[in-house]
Amino acid sequence: MNHKVIEIAGLKKTFDGKQILKNINFSVFENENLVLLGRSGEGKSVTIKCIIGLLEQDEGSVKIYGEEVLDMNQSRLKEMRTKTGFLFQGAALYDSMTVRENLAFPLTRVLKIRNRQDVEKRIIEALDAVGLSDAINKMPSDLSGGMRKRIGLARTIIVKPKIILFDEPTTGLDPISSREICDLIMEIKRKYRTSSIIITHDMECARITADRIIVIHEGECIAEGTFEELEKSTDPQIHPFFNWMGDP
Amino acid sequence: MPGPIPNSHISGVFVIVFAILTKISFWNNFYQFSDRLIYMKTKAFRTLKSVLYQVGEQAGFLGLVFKNSVKKGFEWNELAHQCYLIGYKSFPIVTLTGFVLGFVLTLQSEPSMKAFGAESLVPGMVAISAIREICPVIVALICAGKISSGIGAELGSMSVTEQIDAMEVSGASPVQYLVVTRISACILMVPLLTSLADAVALLGGYMGTTIAGGMSFPLYFRKAMSSLAFSDLVPAVIKTIFFGFVIGYVGCFKGYHSNRGTESVGRAANSAVVTASVWIIVIDAIAVQITNALYYN
Repeated sequence: MNHKVIEIAGLKKTFDGKQILKNINFSVFENENLVLLGRSGEGKSVTIKCIIGLLEQDEGSVKIYGEEVLDMNQSRLKEMRTKTGFLFQGAALYDSMTVRENLAFPLTRVLKIRNRQDVEKRIIEALDAVGLSDAINKMPSDLSGGMRKRIGLARTIIVKPKIILFDEPTTGLDPISSREICDLIMEIKRKYRTSSIIITHDMECARITADRIIVIHEGECIAEGTFEELEKSTDPQIHPFFNWMGDP
Repeated sequence: MPGPIPNSHISGVFVIVFAILTKISFWNNFYQFSDRLIYMKTKAFRTLKSVLYQVGEQAGFLGLVFKNSVKKGFEWNELAHQCYLIGYKSFPIVTLTGFVLGFVLTLQSEPSMKAFGAESLVPGMVAISAIREICPVIVALICAGKISSGIGAELGSMSVTEQIDAMEVSGASPVQYLVVTRISACILMVPLLTSLADAVALLGGYMGTTIAGGMSFPLYFRKAMSSLAFSDLVPAVIKTIFFGFVIGYVGCFKGYHSNRGTESVGRAANSAVVTASVWIIVIDAIAVQITNALYYN
């Protein structure tokens, strides 16, 4: 875990006069899972949207593999995005397409794979990885929340990205489905040697998936460490995340 | 004991009081007026800023559409799919509307024409009015209601559920896949649907003539066709291409930019219909002026 794959320095972003990100600084290393913790509205999703270039920061620097995202031209940005997967909170499956078409979309449109057999092989491989091979012909509306997340994950890993950004991967799922998603995240990390940023409020998910955790409060990174280190913290901003059930 | 106050003193006091009151009233009015001016200026600035922002946003999106329409990797399959959805799925409503237009136009005009002994001119009148004006505008307005709102709602819901963002972060171009194909399909399908409505309107006109008085189909058809000229067909077809562009573009723009919750999806669909309808009427008015200038002056 030596090479930095993502470097963020002095990130600032304001929406309608309200400063959401005040000063975000962190790095993600190769084959590392970094969990971003923080209350709703603290700017975690904004941070990862700045990383992928969906939002432009007001100030600061976001570098992927040492290259500034804002300085990338369209073709470079597209190339970077093929190496970076993004799992949206609601999975964001294309609801007018079947699961097969959803998975084929990045292969045929982005990677320009024309051979149908190759496309089919990769679709089956990705579906096997998330354990949903039998859902190949289903429409997204026929799937449960957990299944949608898994198909979303399959669509993310089908292009074999080096970095994956997870936006609340377990939100809205039952504990068993949440556990399955967390196990999948770990399996993907092992199998594809990916580096990930995981935004979550689910402490069990953080415990399972995190190599390192950063706590964001009021637009700034206020703490950093492993789950075990932060669990012991007595800081009033950090303590409630880890002990919200145990304290009187 | 002091004597009575002289009248000149009283009138002097009145003059002073009146002058003070007038001055107060003048300054009050002046302040109110200047407040009003500042308010109007601020409001005008805000409106101007908002209009300029809208124009900039539209221009930016239009540029993006043109850029993506000439980019490599045109989505032919999606275009065919959209042509099916926009053209084929609108076939029944356009056919019915065209037929009723021709039928009603004939039944309405037949008695008046008969009073002047000019009922033989009815087929020509129906053909000219349907092909030049009524069918293009009515079909375009129907398409604005059906297609533009549908596109607005579809893209709006895709935007709200982050499907457009997902497409973008995957490295694909959502404008090329979603917007260019829909606008192209509208540009292709609206003229075709209008041509269909024109043909069916003539058929409806014939049915009306049959009910009103009776004329053989070959005679009706010959009379209708002989009154039509090149200058009736070409401008009508050209303006439907613009109608098609507006229907597709407005729907896509409104849907693509609705990203503030589910409420904005409905607003996008509604706004798409209203805006596209207004543009259709404006384009029609301009097209009539241009056609008149080119062919009839």
